[in-house]
Amino acid sequence: MIEVLEASKTYGSGESATVALKGVSLKINDGDFTVLLGASGSGKSTLLYIVSGLECPDRGSVNYDGVDITALRDDKLTVFRKEKVGFIFQQYYLLPNLNVDKNVKMGADLTGNRNYHEIIEAVGLGKKLDKMPSELSGGEQQRVSIARALAKKPQVLFLDEPTGALDEETGRQVLDYICTLQKEIGFSVVMVTHNSNIAEMANTVVKMNSGKITETYLNEIRKNAHEIGW
Amino acid sequence: MPTRLDGDDMIIRPKDVIKLLGIVIMCACAVLVCTLFLNSNIDMERIKDQITDPEIMMIYDLTVSSSNLTCAVTSGALGLTTAVMLLFYVKHYIDTHKPELGILKALGYSNWKIAKGFWVFGLSVLTGTAIGFGLAFALMPMFYREQVNDGIMPDVSIHFNPILLVYLVILPAFVFSLMAVLYSYRKLKRPALELIRGSNKAKIRKTKTTGKTKTDVLFLRELEQSTLRSRFSLVFFVWFAAFCYAATVVMSFSISEIGASDMMAVMMAGIGVVLAVTTLFLAVTTVIKGNAKTIAMLRIFGYSDRECSGAILSGYRPVTYIGFALGTAYQHGLMKLMMFLFFDNSVLGLPEYRFDMQAFIVALVSFVVIYELFMLVYARRIKRVSLKEVMMEE
Repeated sequence: MIEVLEASKTYGSGESATVALKGVSLKINDGDFTVLLGASGSGKSTLLYIVSGLECPDRGSVNYDGVDITALRDDKLTVFRKEKVGFIFQQYYLLPNLNVDKNVKMGADLTGNRNYHEIIEAVGLGKKLDKMPSELSGGEQQRVSIARALAKKPQVLFLDEPTGALDEETGRQVLDYICTLQKEIGFSVVMVTHNSNIAEMANTVVKMNSGKITETYLNEIRKNAHEIGW
Repeated sequence: MPTRLDGDDMIIRPKDVIKLLGIVIMCACAVLVCTLFLNSNIDMERIKDQITDPEIMMIYDLTVSSSNLTCAVTSGALGLTTAVMLLFYVKHYIDTHKPELGILKALGYSNWKIAKGFWVFGLSVLTGTAIGFGLAFALMPMFYREQVNDGIMPDVSIHFNPILLVYLVILPAFVFSLMAVLYSYRKLKRPALELIRGSNKAKIRKTKTTGKTKTDVLFLRELEQSTLRSRFSLVFFVWFAAFCYAATVVMSFSISEIGASDMMAVMMAGIGVVLAVTTLFLAVTTVIKGNAKTIAMLRIFGYSDRECSGAILSGYRPVTYIGFALGTAYQHGLMKLMMFLFFDNSVLGLPEYRFDMQAFIVALVSFVVIYELFMLVYARRIKRVSLKEVMMEE
């Protein structure tokens, strides 16, 4: 279980200071699909980076099964990221000089996963192992980044607006892959989005505004990627 | 004040020009050496008619020939490297400003109109050659005195020879400016949309994995190889830095042994060290900046700082030491050739040239220290690369 307690974050100082998070507390259960929903500037991405250990809060703590990751030294935090979490970003951030196979291998090698081709097959890119990122469509690139993140077998998958750069059809396809794989493998998902329709796919929806959580609710029925509006 | 390249949004800022520091230093070094030797040659020619003794005439001819050879080797090697470096920076500038250049093209600016603005890259050459020329005249009295004291040249007064200003300062600046314009024109010959999107389909370097994929080769090893392959020009610069260091530092000891002036030896070693350090600095900085996204992603995924710096920088180590070995061999060959061509006689009474093992060891140890310190500093810089910074730049 992940537990965030009273996390605050301010960027800059003096008159140019921007308060991104104001004492946010949150619980994420193992295997949950949690969506952080909010408009631009609501603090959802900052919260995602803090929960995932990419950023340290000014105040507060982030506990993974009782271990406060905000107190970890940089090398321990690296080990934590290696063993526990996976990331998917809106801009994919694939390594441009490496083909699909090697991009996914980047994740797989961290945990010694030699069967990583299975995950490439699972995202439908088994026949594109030799393709370079620039030869793929946006949706395909995002699927490579899904495979790369899952090849390291994370306990929690963090996604920052994964469909933000994709058209509706491709976006649905990408979400479908994520949901299917989550059900099969059982990792937790924490996804940031501004699209309230996507929130209907989650167990837990955390609404944010101006650096605060304004509402948290559970979806009794989770919709799949093809049932939601866009 | 920023220099306008073309269009309201397209400017080359001072920080872009600062990156050309390597070119400035390289041109300054080349012109410094050439001005000293060629000016002394021209000045000596004024008294050539007064030489009647055949033995002195022979020494005169040898001095002129060896000066010309020194100038040819220095200007050839440094000129070629300057050209490679200039083209690299023009390409780098275009690659990092694709969207802006694409928008200019979309607005109706012709390739030629945009390319013309790239003449400013030649200013770095002009700055370097002017500094080198000025520095040469500042050092000229000392250089002449040393040469006279060592019996290498007769006592002649210093003259300012305007022809050297044209050939060593103005002409190179013009040629390199033209080269920058023509090269950028060639690189801009792409559809505007391709530039705006920042795609670079022409540069895909595929590595085959069809059929049996290499799951047993570690990812970091493959990344190391791909980093090297992706920027061959940087491999050349790192290689050149080591080559240059070995060639000049070992040679400075060698020429000192066979009777050259201390000033010349110190000048040669100094130029070598400055060139090597500058080239290494520029190359490694570009490697780190060019791989910022990759480094950030590696760190996010949980690769340690040591693994990140290893994957990005370690591949250059063998290249560096090969460069050092070749630089040492090159200086040895060059010394042998020079001794054979110009000094292979008993008239001058010079000691026989032999490979100086002690000089080689001093050069190697000092180079290893400098190189490994560089790697250490940049490994620390890698630690500071964060995804947030990378995202902010986009």
